[in-house]
Amino acid sequence: MKIFVVSALVLFSTLTPAQEDFGQQAPSIKMDPAPVVTVVQGKAGNVPLSFRVPGGYHINSNKPKSEFLIPTVLKVDATTDIVIGGTTYPEGHDMSFAFAPDEKLNVYTGDFKVNVSVRPLHSVQPGKYIVRGTLKYQACDNRACYPPKKLPMSFDVKIARAPAVRGQNPAQSPHAH
Amino acid sequence: MKRNPLILFFIAAIVAAMLFAGMRVARKNRENGSPTGQLMGQVAPDFELPSLDGKNLKLSDLRGKAVLLNFWATYCGPCKIEMPWFVELQKQYGPQGFQIVGVAMDDASTEEISKFAKDMGVNYPILLGKESVGQSYGGVSVLPTTFFLDRDGKLIAREFGLQSRSVFVDHIKKALSQGQAVQAQK
Repeated sequence: MKIFVVSALVLFSTLTPAQEDFGQQAPSIKMDPAPVVTVVQGKAGNVPLSFRVPGGYHINSNKPKSEFLIPTVLKVDATTDIVIGGTTYPEGHDMSFAFAPDEKLNVYTGDFKVNVSVRPLHSVQPGKYIVRGTLKYQACDNRACYPPKKLPMSFDVKIARAPAVRGQNPAQSPHAH
Repeated sequence: MKRNPLILFFIAAIVAAMLFAGMRVARKNRENGSPTGQLMGQVAPDFELPSLDGKNLKLSDLRGKAVLLNFWATYCGPCKIEMPWFVELQKQYGPQGFQIVGVAMDDASTEEISKFAKDMGVNYPILLGKESVGQSYGGVSVLPTTFFLDRDGKLIAREFGLQSRSVFVDHIKKALSQGQAVQAQK
């Protein structure tokens, strides 16, 4: 009985935020603080970025199934010291929604991770560097869609000095005897 | 102390009802206080926008007709569900002085919007929307957003998000029955 009472309370009191906030504004994707990744000069490293879609909403994956849908895209600003390599997106989930039960959309819901490949130049000074960018996404819920939004984001990359190469003599002329 | 489960249930039901009512009232107040809510009963903000066929359409030129003003976008799945209904409703109520106007609030190109509208068999004008027009209607932050204007151009209802077809029919009937054109007929 207690379970029933608690369930009833929870059910009524937590009417989905998506329903109650309806007609207000687009949901906002949040990004967890990115870990500081240490990368050696001249070597490639990977920065995992974690994003969260609020409950009750979905956003298109990076490869939505229709030409009309707006993909989720992370655009990383170019830097002079770090080469930004590829961006790896997770595969989306094929899901149907109440507004189109016969159609499967490829979407992200809940938590998803995007990986960014970085490679500091050989010549860059060791230290902490900030990399900025923008996540563009377009969210919907079961009954409505919201205009595309851009989430500014940034992460730090710690560049370490490349270890000195050992066991190698300085270049010598073979005739220097 | 042992509590009667029935009493617990009644307390839970009362609290739940109060929460539900509170949220409804809060929502109502928020809507009435919102720019969109304040527009209700007023003459709809006028605008002139280019349509897909290259002509301009001015909303106030439709005075005398009941109008369904639908803000939509090509990326909006729920909008896609409503469009076939709108095609049917335009056919059904058009002869009585009813006009649907679609406003595409889209980043897509005119060609893409045209292709989308053609694929959907749209039989009503599609206008290329501007942010400023959306702002004049209180900001169109949810798609679809649909307004209903009576024959005098007054806003009589609006709906956010996908609705059932019957909701549209009810608003259309109400819009058709209001305004000077109706008075003149009587």
